[in-house]
Parts: sequence; C-alpha cells; structure tokens
Amino acid sequence: MNTAEKNIPNTKEKGMGMKARRTLGDIAIYIILIIMSIIWLTPFVCIVLQSFRCESTWQVGYVIPQQWGLDNYKGLLETDFVKWYSNTFIMALVVSVLQTFIVLCMSYTLSRFRFKLRKPLMQFMLILGLFPGMLTMIILYRVLKDLGLTMENAIPGLILVYIASSGMGYYISKGFFDTIPMSLDEAARVDGATRMQVFFQMIMPLSKSIIIYTILTAFMGPWGDFIFAKYISFNTSAGMNVAVGLYSWLNKDMIASRYTMFCAGGVIVAIPVTILFLFLQKYYVEGVTGGSVKG
Amino acid sequence: MKKKLLATLLVATLAIASLAGCGKKSADGSGSPADTGSKNNATTETKAEGDLSFNITVWVPELAVDLTKSQIEAFNASNPDGINFTATVEAVSEADSATTMITDVESGADIFFFAQDQAARLIQSGGLSKLGIQAAESVSAANAAGVVSACMSGEDMYAYPLTADNGYFMYYDKSVVPEADIDSLEAIIADCEAAGRTFCMETDTSAWYIASFFFGTGCVSDWETDEDGAFISVNDTFNSDKGLIAAKGLYKLQTSPIHVSSSQGSEFDAAVPAAVVVTGTWDYNTVSDILGENMGVADLPCFAVDGASYHMGSYNGCKLLGVKPQSDAARSASLHKLAQYLVSEEAQMDRFNELAWGPANLNAQASDAVQANPGLAALLEQAPYSIPQGQIHGSWWDIAKVIGTDVGESDGSDEGLKAALQKYEDTISALFNMTSDEKEAMSVIGALCGTSWDTDFPMTRSAEIGAFYYSDVLELKAGDEFKCRMGASWDVNFGADGALDGPNVVVEEDGFYVIKLAVNDDKTEGIITLEKNSYVNGWTVIGVVAGSNWDADFEMAVQDDGTTYKSVDTFDMTAGTEFKVRQGHNWDVSYGDGTENFVVEADGTYTVVFDSTTGTITLE
Repeated sequence: MNTAEKNIPNTKEKGMGMKARRTLGDIAIYIILIIMSIIWLTPFVCIVLQSFRCESTWQVGYVIPQQWGLDNYKGLLETDFVKWYSNTFIMALVVSVLQTFIVLCMSYTLSRFRFKLRKPLMQFMLILGLFPGMLTMIILYRVLKDLGLTMENAIPGLILVYIASSGMGYYISKGFFDTIPMSLDEAARVDGATRMQVFFQMIMPLSKSIIIYTILTAFMGPWGDFIFAKYISFNTSAGMNVAVGLYSWLNKDMIASRYTMFCAGGVIVAIPVTILFLFLQKYYVEGVTGGSVKG
Repeated sequence: MKKKLLATLLVATLAIASLAGCGKKSADGSGSPADTGSKNNATTETKAEGDLSFNITVWVPELAVDLTKSQIEAFNASNPDGINFTATVEAVSEADSATTMITDVESGADIFFFAQDQAARLIQSGGLSKLGIQAAESVSAANAAGVVSACMSGEDMYAYPLTADNGYFMYYDKSVVPEADIDSLEAIIADCEAAGRTFCMETDTSAWYIASFFFGTGCVSDWETDEDGAFISVNDTFNSDKGLIAAKGLYKLQTSPIHVSSSQGSEFDAAVPAAVVVTGTWDYNTVSDILGENMGVADLPCFAVDGASYHMGSYNGCKLLGVKPQSDAARSASLHKLAQYLVSEEAQMDRFNELAWGPANLNAQASDAVQANPGLAALLEQAPYSIPQGQIHGSWWDIAKVIGTDVGESDGSDEGLKAALQKYEDTISALFNMTSDEKEAMSVIGALCGTSWDTDFPMTRSAEIGAFYYSDVLELKAGDEFKCRMGASWDVNFGADGALDGPNVVVEEDGFYVIKLAVNDDKTEGIITLEKNSYVNGWTVIGVVAGSNWDADFEMAVQDDGTTYKSVDTFDMTAGTEFKVRQGHNWDVSYGDGTENFVVEADGTYTVVFDSTTGTITLE
C-alpha cells in the first residue's frame, strides 16, 4: 500500500490522473487477454465447426461450414468409435477409482504413521519416479503378452499398467494431509476410533479438494494416453482407446474421407473432460495448491 | 459421505473383478473356433489331425475390411480341401502393418497387406514366409513383372502381388491449366502464378516425390539385397551431372512462390486452392468431388534445363500381401492357398471394382474396365517414365528427403546444388560402412572353388584370440591362388609373405583346407596358414557306388541329432553292391556290416544312413 501511495506524486508529475492511468492499463490488459484467448480458442472453435460440416469430408480452406448437420456424429456411431470410446471410458473410470484409493491410502499412511524405513521408502520412490515410465514399455509389453492381456484384452492390461505405480504419486496429497493437525487424529483415537475410522470419518471429509484433484488427474491419464495404448492394443480394434483408434484414420488413404469425423470424434472426447473440469474446477485449484501449504 | 465412498469403492472392486474375469475367459477360450478374437497360436495345439479349420488374423486397410471378409468366406466355400478359416479382419493401414509386425512377429497377423518398401525389413525380421516353388511360378507368371520383382529377395519370393497402383501422377484444374500447357512444368507454374493458385508436390518431406526429378534425368538408385533381405550394395547416381540437372529442375519448383509441399487431394479445397496436386489413385474420389467437371488427370510434365527437356519420372510401387511364417505346416500351406486366392485375378478385379485398386494381375490390367479408369490411365501414361520400386533401404527415405529442402535453400548455383547432392551421397555411402564389424571382417578371395577373384569367402573371428581368423573348410586344388582381405576391399590385404599387399598364396596339394589368418594389432602383418582338414564331419561313403570303385569318397551330412549321418547323394545300387562308411578319408576307422563290407540286398535307389554311436548302416 505504501508503495502505491508514494507513486501518486510521480504520476501527477507526468500529467496523468490515477484513474486515467488505471483505465489505460486495464485496456491494455484486456486487449492482451482477448488476443491470447483468441489464439487459445481458435483451434477448438475450428474443430467444433469442422465437425458440423456436411458438404465434404476432407480438409478445406474455410472455417464456417456451408452445410451444417450432424452427419459426422451419426457416422461415428457406425464405426468402431463407439467401442473405442467405451474402452476409454471404462479404463478412465476404473483407474480413477482405484488410483484415488491407492494414492489416498498411501498418503495417509506416510503422513500419519511412523514406521521403520518410512524415510528410505519415500526416498526410494522418489528415485524410482525419476526413471521415465517409457523405459519399461518393452518389458511391460512382453509381460502383458504372456499374461494374455494385450490385443483384444488390452483394456484390463492397460488398467493394470496405469494403476500399477500409482502409489508413487502421493506427494501432493501427503502434503495436504500433513496440514491437517495431528491433534484431530489424536482426539478421535482417544475417543476410541480405529485408524480406518479416523481416515474415513475425520480426514476424508476435510480433504474433499485433494480427493477430487486426485480423481481428476487419475481420470486424465488413461483418457489421453496414446503410446502405451498403441503398443498394447497391437492393431486390434477391440482393444484400442479413442486416441489410438482415431489416429488410425490419419493415414493417406483415410484422411480425405474421415477428416470431419475425426473432428467430431475429438469433440466427443473432449466433452466428459470439459464437464468434469467445469464442475470441479474450484476443488482442482484448491487441490493443486493445497499440498503446498506448509504443514 | 463415508457410505457413499465405500459404496463407490465396492462397485469399483466388483467392476474390476468382472473385467478380470472377461480377460481370462477370452484368453482361455481361444481353443473354440467360435471365439473369433482368440489368439491364433494357441489354437493349433488342440487340433485333431486332418482338421483344416483355423482361426486367423488378417490385417487390411480399413476400406478393404468388408471386402476381404467376404473374399475369405468365398474361399471357405469354394476350396476343395475342406480348409475353413475363421478370420478376424483388423483395419491396419499398409503403412503401419510392417512396423507393427516387426515389433512382435509372434502376435502379428497371419496375412497382412503392406507397402512394398517394407518388404526388406519384414524379411529380415522373419515376418514373411517364402512361397513354394510352384506357387512362386504361377504367381510370377500371372502378375506384372515390376510387381513380382518387388516380392523377390535374392532368388526367393516372399510376398504376393496385390496392386500395381502405388505411383503418382498429376491432378489439375482444367480451368486454370489449359490442356496445351500440361506437358511443361514451367508453363504450369506460370499458369498457377497467373491465377494465384498453388502447385502441390510433396518435395520438402518425401523422397518418394523428390526422386521424380532425378529419375527424369536418368539417375538411378538401385539397391541389392541378399536372400535374407539384407542390403549388400547400392548403385546410386543422384550425385552426378544428370543429378545436377535434376537438382536444377527441383530448384525451380522449390523456389517458386506458389509451390506447396503437400500430396493431399484436399489441397484443391484449401484456403489458397491448388491448381495442381501430384498424388496417386487414392485421392481420385476426393479430387473429383472437389473439382467435378474441371478435374484433369495427366502424366507428370517435363522440365527444361539449359534448353533440354526432361520428362519427370516417378516411382511405380505396389502393395503386397504377406503370409507370416507358421510353426504348423498344414496351417502354413492353407494360409498360402488363401493368399493365392486373395491375389487371384477375380479377387484383384473385385478390389478394383469396389475400391478402385489398380490390379497387378496381367489379365485384370488388360480388362476394359481397368483401362477405362482415368486414374489408372494416367498411371499408365506415366509408366514409361516410372521406375519399378524395388527393395530400398529403410534409411534412404530419410536421407533422400532432405535433398528437397537442401536444394530449395541453396543459392541455385552449380556449387550450391552439388553440395546438397554431395551431402546426400556421403550419407548413403556411410550406410554401408556403418558397422565396424563389417568393416573389420576378413575374407578369403582368389581363384579357388570355381571362383575367380570375384567371391569373398567369409572368415570367422576366433572368440579366444583377438585378431585370429579362420575360414570354413574349402576344397582347394593344387595351383589355386588366393589372398585374405578386410571388409571386402583391397585396402587391407595379406598374401604369402605375411606383409600387406603381399604375393598370392599358392596351394601346393589338392585337399580340404581351413585357411587361418593371424593379424597383428596395427594390421600391418597377417600370417596365413593352410591347415589340411578332412571333411567337416569326417564320415564318407566309399565302395562300388555311383560308378566309382573304392576310389572316391561321397560326403555324408550330419543330422539334427548330431550322431546320425546321411549320404548327401542318393545312389542307384543293385543287389550285391558293396560299400563301407569310413572316417577322415582313411581306413583307420570304417564300418560296413560289422567289419566286413556292407552288401546291398535288393536293387533300388538308396540314401545311406549311418549311426555313428553304434556303427550300424541302414538304407533308405
């Protein structure tokens, strides 16, 4: 505040009132924001508009369709897209539930329990986390193949892959749990609550934002995965997720007849994620920053 | 809150359990023929003898899925052998199939379509099974020669010809480019510039299109593979005077403001629409939808450099059908029958009628319908200037595609263009010098074993002692001459006196020899020794056989069990013929009927079988 007041005489010397200066600043900021939002939104708007274009199916040089319609969306229903979509949805749903459960349990344990090797375990996981997951791709493929969880059975296989190492993503929620005073636990324990009761009845209701944040990130992983899904589905349509399935439409033989359907597919893929974020945005921000509060 | 969460978790656990159940069930159920999604390799084991029902996976491009399904069903209904395929047909583009196949051949499809440039990679990785001699003959006779050559590696045929239409030509907008101009690149570019339309040819990112200019001036890039699909040499003349002319033509296009590096038919509908797009038959429907009446198709134009005119060349490629090697012979034979059916004249015509794929079959090519197809007609016009796309090294595409941008970014002077071509040539020649193993490999070469200084006999590097090499057993005659050299070149070679570039080693006595070579560390001295050797396996047939009279040894080959030997030749023997089996070309160890000569009991043509553990001889 002090600095602002000190600045006033300076502006007056330049012959400009504070109000005028603020208005000018606002205008500049708004112009920058508008330009940025146009840059950000253009691709999305284009994709949405293209997906409603009915007069042709290939890439064109204009954005506004000449004939509007839902042909592309109807067309999607006749392809394997439905299968890919349900595959992806099942995976994302199962993974988000399981991964959230594992992550929260892990964080609670590391935050509240004191046991031998707790510190070394955390360090070990930190180091493990430094290795890129892609390194394991080939060996994972072999293992899953031997288990019969590739190709048409890729979905359970991929679920395994996604949740396998989820315990290592405990950092943010542990940080959040650390901010909840231990005395709450102790009070509950004195009243005769078990550890589990403490977790479910005391900690969980207080950590809504972090739970939602964990669910969201867990949901997004399988939703957008391409590389693992591509390998493990191994060209088998029944085992593909949307990303891999849609990608198969991009070769030179297909693109001219599938471009607008591809856009429609992209729009449909974006819908659940957009809805999730719209409704849970508030918690998401809390969750991201929650873990950083000093506890 | 608590209840809700618990309920959610319970539901999730149930969901997982049921999913896991699904996975297991279909993996176990692979033995039942009704389960189309099951894995093929598991099914063969539970099969009764003579049952020719198979579950197979087939990879074809998405557009061809339905047609292929019905073709396989037609095959099931029509084949006289009772072969019955339950096929899972997956949509996999030809561009992807080889890459996926190579990642895991075992899980790959049994029959798959692929683009011919992938053939070498597939053969090397064991993704293709060889055709039988008869099949190869009939397929070669029925299909266009260029396509057949794409199926070959060495002397063997590894794939079936599917189409012969993987080439490019020119689509143009008749309202912009008048008929009179379509033979001249310069005139077309001028027309495009005048009308503010673009000329699309993917010369920035695709060697396939760049090669057009070079083939137009008579440059070649011929790659040679051995029977295992490995590349052994290349004859590439892109960096030459002719290549420079081509580079000048390419420079003209690359530096034209209306040039767009793209090969998509939809460019005719782009923001700045194209007037010319160089692409192939797969874009025919797109272009004709966009341009309608105004669509023109033609062979590629000529470009003029220094007063001379050169017709742009092209690649004439094809799509092939491959059969994955199988462990079960009956399954393999049945798959090859299906493959032959799928590339038959009728099947190719079906694909032409439904998908407009240009057939490779000669009869189908001659049919009126095919001749009347404008896209294929343009390909046919382009054909005299096109080069059949043989086996090409996988890296070539990446090496050659930079020519486009390098030429475009050069100053257009001879020096600048030459520099771009020199860079290309250097990279190409590096391909063959890449592995130090190959560079350091020693070999024997000379006038020996019926060769005359033109064949390298490989030497094996001894694992125990560093620079010590030995050859296979070679049959040498007195007077044969040879030397040992490194990396199949004469830069480093050793002869009789152990020094570099020494005189030839001369063989003094007929016999079987192992040639040994000890090289010092700095490769200035190599001592060659000849070590006499009996046959590798030592056992031979000798007696009154094949016109000889106890004066010639006939080689026997060791069998897989390591103890049984069989004569390499078969012998016409009459009752009473006598022979023995001996070791090492001498009589120290020999077997007949006990210690006596073996006596043949009945006339016939026999293979001599010898069990080296018991010393017993039998005839087959």
